[in-house]
Amino acid sequence: MENEKTTQTKIDYHLLFILFLIAVVSAIAIESARETLPAKLQHINFAQKQLMWYAIGAVVVAVTMLFDYDRLFKIAWYLYGFGMILLLGLELNVPGTVTIKGATSWYSLPGGNFQPSELMKIFMIIVISRIIVNHREKYHDPTLQDDLKLLGKIALSLLPPLFLLARQPDMGMSMVFMAIAGSLILVSGIRLRIIAAIAGLAVLGATAFIVAFLYFPDVLKIKQYQLNRFYGWLNPYEYASEQGFQLVKSLLAIGSGELYGKGYKNLDVYLPESHTDFIFSIIGEQFGFIGASIVVSLFFLLIYRMIQIALECHDPFGSYLCAGVIGMITFQVFQNVGMTIGLLPITGLPLPFVSYGGSSLATYMLAIGLVLNVRSRTQKFMFSAEQ
Amino acid sequence: MKQIQQAQKAKKKKKRTQLPFRLNVLFFAVFLLFSALILRLGVIQIVYGEQYRKEVERTENVTVNTPAPRGKIYDRNYQVVVDNEPLHAITYTRTQTTKPSEMIEVAKKLATYIEKPTDRVTERDIKDYWILTNEEKAKQKITEKEWKQFRAKKLKDKDIYQLQLERITEEDVKMIKEKELEVVAIFREMNSGYALTPQMIKNEGVTDEEYAVVSEHLEELPGIDVTTDWNRHYAFGDTFRTVLGNITSSEEGLPREKLDYYLARDYNRNDRVGKSYIEAQYEDVLRGQKAKIKNVTDKAGNIIETIEMSQGQRGKDIVLTIDMELQQRVEKIIEEELMTMKRRGGTELLDRAFVVMMDPNTGEILSLAGKRYTRDENGKVVLKDYALGTITSAYAMGSAVKGATVLTGFQTGVIHPGTVLIDEPLYIKGTPTKKSHSGIRPGPMNDLKALEMSSNVYMFKTAIAIAGSTYRPHQALPIKKEAFSIMRRYFNQFGLGVKTGIDLPGEIIGWPGQSTLPGHLLDLAIGQFDVYTPIQMAQYVSTIANGGYRIQPHVVKEIREPISEKNQMGNVIYSFEPKVLNRVDMKTEYIERVREGFYRVMHGSNGTARAFFANAPYDPAGKTGTAQAFYDGPIKSRRMTPTYNLTLVGFAPYNNPEVAFAVVVPWVYQNAKNHYPINNYIGRKILDAYFELKKQRQLGQPSSTESLNNDEETMER
Repeated sequence: MENEKTTQTKIDYHLLFILFLIAVVSAIAIESARETLPAKLQHINFAQKQLMWYAIGAVVVAVTMLFDYDRLFKIAWYLYGFGMILLLGLELNVPGTVTIKGATSWYSLPGGNFQPSELMKIFMIIVISRIIVNHREKYHDPTLQDDLKLLGKIALSLLPPLFLLARQPDMGMSMVFMAIAGSLILVSGIRLRIIAAIAGLAVLGATAFIVAFLYFPDVLKIKQYQLNRFYGWLNPYEYASEQGFQLVKSLLAIGSGELYGKGYKNLDVYLPESHTDFIFSIIGEQFGFIGASIVVSLFFLLIYRMIQIALECHDPFGSYLCAGVIGMITFQVFQNVGMTIGLLPITGLPLPFVSYGGSSLATYMLAIGLVLNVRSRTQKFMFSAEQ
Repeated sequence: MKQIQQAQKAKKKKKRTQLPFRLNVLFFAVFLLFSALILRLGVIQIVYGEQYRKEVERTENVTVNTPAPRGKIYDRNYQVVVDNEPLHAITYTRTQTTKPSEMIEVAKKLATYIEKPTDRVTERDIKDYWILTNEEKAKQKITEKEWKQFRAKKLKDKDIYQLQLERITEEDVKMIKEKELEVVAIFREMNSGYALTPQMIKNEGVTDEEYAVVSEHLEELPGIDVTTDWNRHYAFGDTFRTVLGNITSSEEGLPREKLDYYLARDYNRNDRVGKSYIEAQYEDVLRGQKAKIKNVTDKAGNIIETIEMSQGQRGKDIVLTIDMELQQRVEKIIEEELMTMKRRGGTELLDRAFVVMMDPNTGEILSLAGKRYTRDENGKVVLKDYALGTITSAYAMGSAVKGATVLTGFQTGVIHPGTVLIDEPLYIKGTPTKKSHSGIRPGPMNDLKALEMSSNVYMFKTAIAIAGSTYRPHQALPIKKEAFSIMRRYFNQFGLGVKTGIDLPGEIIGWPGQSTLPGHLLDLAIGQFDVYTPIQMAQYVSTIANGGYRIQPHVVKEIREPISEKNQMGNVIYSFEPKVLNRVDMKTEYIERVREGFYRVMHGSNGTARAFFANAPYDPAGKTGTAQAFYDGPIKSRRMTPTYNLTLVGFAPYNNPEVAFAVVVPWVYQNAKNHYPINNYIGRKILDAYFELKKQRQLGQPSSTESLNNDEETMER
């Protein structure tokens, strides 16, 4: 009896409230972009549709709450296999795949296009969490070799989807997968020395990559549009009329918002389809530094709450799941906001929970569902050894 | 045991404490990343915010402004033929964000300053304007039920608009017609353009006063500008006018059939381009380089600064091969002779005459003239310029082509220089009697005599021999069908029946006759079967004059860089070189022989044109032609009436030809008793004019253009 009661009260209203605020931001921002959209999109009420997606997302959350997340531990590899089959289907171009701007990343479904890699992100979090838990149980007192072994296992599970994503190609999504893996490796307890080494290598690799990108694009078989994104990022003004166009426009929009913003629906800078990837730019333009900072802070609060949940969870598997979700959301927010203010090159990643888009929103809601689930099954043992 | 437990506990503890630590590290990383975002936002929005805002408020519009004038056209002696006349113009340029209500505001104000003709306003324009200005009333035109359907998306915007248009009453239209028609006329012009493209509101008849008043009030007329437009000015009036061609008006803009072609070449839709003849053929050359001006405006549309991106430049100038003074004289001669001829009886079908004069060595056209006798709306006789007829109409040319027949005979080996044939009436079964004209007594004659006297029978017999047949009196004449193509192939080498390649659009090749009856082969040999254009005749005689080189005729001599100094010419960019299309594959001595024959036509004791040219000081040679043809002109009821075409081709001087010419006067009279050699009169006079002008220029006498210009009035009949 006691147990049941605690379960019911364990729905995390803090998290839900923060999410509610973000949903409000999303609806306002999407509605504000409406008048700047191309004529063919003018008649669609995207804000309303987004709220509808939130409603569907709420159902997704409710459904995920029905099962104990422990069951995910058992079916982790089945989910992974299912996700891989979906990705393979894209690779093999089975009927129903959709190619947009050269990337075959979608299936056509009655409700719209569905991107399986979105789902795969969640499966990846579950699988890596399981790998870590299993490893930890096997090696209570891990040696350096054991740590490396764990690292190898994670890498092995990560490589197949990464390979298929690269084939689509979808660089942004690949980076999200690496961010997820990175955050999980960090919390997995692997020696900090190794993590430091990996970080060092990553920085070195990234530097080498950028150098190769710019000077030897042939070696990497880089597509021209990818190269252009880099040029546009590094020197937006010189490429203002071509690749840097979006960045220049985005900087103009955000910058001209100044401290207080221009006010609701006062948009002077035209950004193509600003209701999706560049939604943060129009937030910055309308609501200024204050508005933009509030949005970033909302995300920060969201993550803060998730960290708390992860900390309070006594089951490492639950903590790992939370850490994976944190990594995923942090990276996407950082990447999306970063690209609008020129910190990072432009990729096609939307701003989680805010950008218009059904399939990505459903995925984030699924992630939120996971975290809520972890929270709701956390027992507060009065006799806990923790001090 | 306990120890082990403790150790395990410690391990567990260690693990327990490790995870929260790592989670905190993760949280710290998140904190760092988000701090970076906030920091960067602060830099962009607070530190540089003002700069970005200022930049947003500056909007740059690249507008293509000030139409540059077209290139000028000069004649061979560098006299201006086509010039540009500056015109006051009032333009309107709207931006992408200009609203119709703002445009109406401007139109209303502008209407108080200028007079705008309203004749181009349509009923639809008025109705569109009415809906824009009477929004409430327009809404009431739609019933509640229809609005419901609209909301239910059963009716579209388009349908609603259509219904509104239909329901505008006469009364509503009348209201506008009375009060605001001029505003509608202005609004219509404003609206017809594309954003950022200056649109002509008025460029004809803008008075100095209007120009000044509008200039003063530019502040309150956003988008309106006063500029200069250019009209073509023709220094020689109607002379050579049709060949010079026309350009489109700014209302016509780009010709629809070549829209994509021009748009791809950076033209605006309302640009004025050449639409016919030289203006069209040399559009690329004559087109002006527009000045590109970048207007930097603030949000309110005030221009902060204007940056000239590229300077405008007048189009390149064209120098024609035409000698306009000669052209004027030639046209006058044609007019006089036509009128003289028309005054004589039996010439009711006569309505046109053509002259082509060219340099047989270079192909430069010195004069390309044609006139049409017609009546204007008031029934008054006018002589219209019809120079284009020299390349776009074809006629039976008669004996003038005999030079080509003789040469074909030489080359096919059926006759030789000096071959004697008997001139006698030919009686061929199934064909009317074929004979020479009455001036020739039957008897033997050689090739030279045949040309001199213009023997038909000599040509007939040559053609029969080419056809591989033999003439037997009163019997049928079997001929090889290929004979037609053999003869035409040789004729083509002189330019007869093929395009001459003149640099003007619309040249025709004439029509070869379709029949292959033997009698028609004989007609072909004397120029009474296939029809040729006057320019082909000029090319043919030039080929004989210059010893066998078929030269491409051209009317443009040079292209020159435009310069602003008057009375000076820019540098030559391109100069047309004589272009030999083909060398006639005949021995030079054959051509020499025919040249001699042509000389005898004008100097021999029996020469058909002797009376006109024997005493000419410049030693001409040529060949007359009288074709029995069928009328094919504008009077429909008289079509196929048998009639006579009079022609003359020639060149001078005989030894060193510098001018070749063709005179063609179709449908002169129907009855030979009305004979009057208008071809020879014109021929003599144009040669005289040419050599007189040459002499005048050598002596350095002042040009007589002015006196001729004054004569124009007396020329009107």
